[in-house]
Amino acid sequence: MSHRREFENKEVGLIDILDVVLDKGVAIKGDLILSIAGIDLVYLDLRVLISSVETLIESNQEAAEQLSSKRFDQEKEELNHVINGA
Amino acid sequence: MAKLVYLYGIIPKNDSYKEKLSTMKGLDDFHEIHTIPFQETEAVICHLDEVQYGEKELEKKTNDVKWVHEKAFHHHEILMKLYEEFPIIPMKFCTIYSGEESLAKKLDAHQENMIELLEFIKDKEEWIMKIYCDPSKVRENVSEQNTTIDQKRKEIGEMSPGRQYLEKRKLDQLIDQEADREKDSFASNIHEALASISLQNEVKKNWNKDVTGRTEEMCWNSVYMLKNTAVDDFLNHVKELQDKWEPSGWQIEVTGPWPSYHYAKIG
Repeated sequence: MSHRREFENKEVGLIDILDVVLDKGVAIKGDLILSIAGIDLVYLDLRVLISSVETLIESNQEAAEQLSSKRFDQEKEELNHVINGA
Repeated sequence: MAKLVYLYGIIPKNDSYKEKLSTMKGLDDFHEIHTIPFQETEAVICHLDEVQYGEKELEKKTNDVKWVHEKAFHHHEILMKLYEEFPIIPMKFCTIYSGEESLAKKLDAHQENMIELLEFIKDKEEWIMKIYCDPSKVRENVSEQNTTIDQKRKEIGEMSPGRQYLEKRKLDQLIDQEADREKDSFASNIHEALASISLQNEVKKNWNKDVTGRTEEMCWNSVYMLKNTAVDDFLNHVKELQDKWEPSGWQIEVTGPWPSYHYAKIG
């Protein structure tokens, strides 16, 4: 039995697309303009792209920071508990 | 005014698709997509205005997440349309030449290589597998089932409260390490099984949650080049693995077939 239909061309996420269209072939160079055999080839700097992808989820990061400060408080409390309890 | 050339990909020489292409708009939503013949191949391109898409402007545009998303998707969409019809050597997003002349020089220099690549990919498909997991679930399982950890926990139970606190912290770190090891070993076993069906394969970088925007953690990302005839076998295998592991929180996801971004590259 073939499962091809189930997998083929199904909706792919943006991350799946960026994962293939950016990739590291570009990343290694890091320059905006590559000179290949003396010909100007304008390429994007992958790091620029990645960072722009990352800014999208800034709000997520903020949430993560809140979470970590919450965790910090929790640990502090645990520590106090040990010190006072010991 | 000089025009920049945005290159989508290289396809074999062919006359049957000209009409289809001319109805598609290029990256700037203005210039039409068309082909330029180069010996036995054709380059699929669109022109871009130098003022709007020159080096400085392009850099500005790439800082705009919305622009990147929209245009990367456009690139993908065009490539998928082309891929439905022909073998294609796909270019990465934003491969732009300063003019037709520089494109011609590049393509002339790689003509032989391009013909070989087009021949090579003709009867093959590129598929990608990503494995996602629920990190807390993996951690929990490791914490419950790992004998070293269990032993350690018993020892800690007999210590003084102050000592216990420190040792528990250390144990937490150990559990983290073991959980990471578990993710890697689980995923690489799956990879080995699939790799044995493929002609070529490559382990790619995992993207962190900030980039994927998902709650699950990506713990594996790899690409496989398969003979057409092996694809069914490959997908059957994936299906079996999915059914087996999904209940324990492992999501094995495959996408494809992709234009051969990984195995049809010109130097």
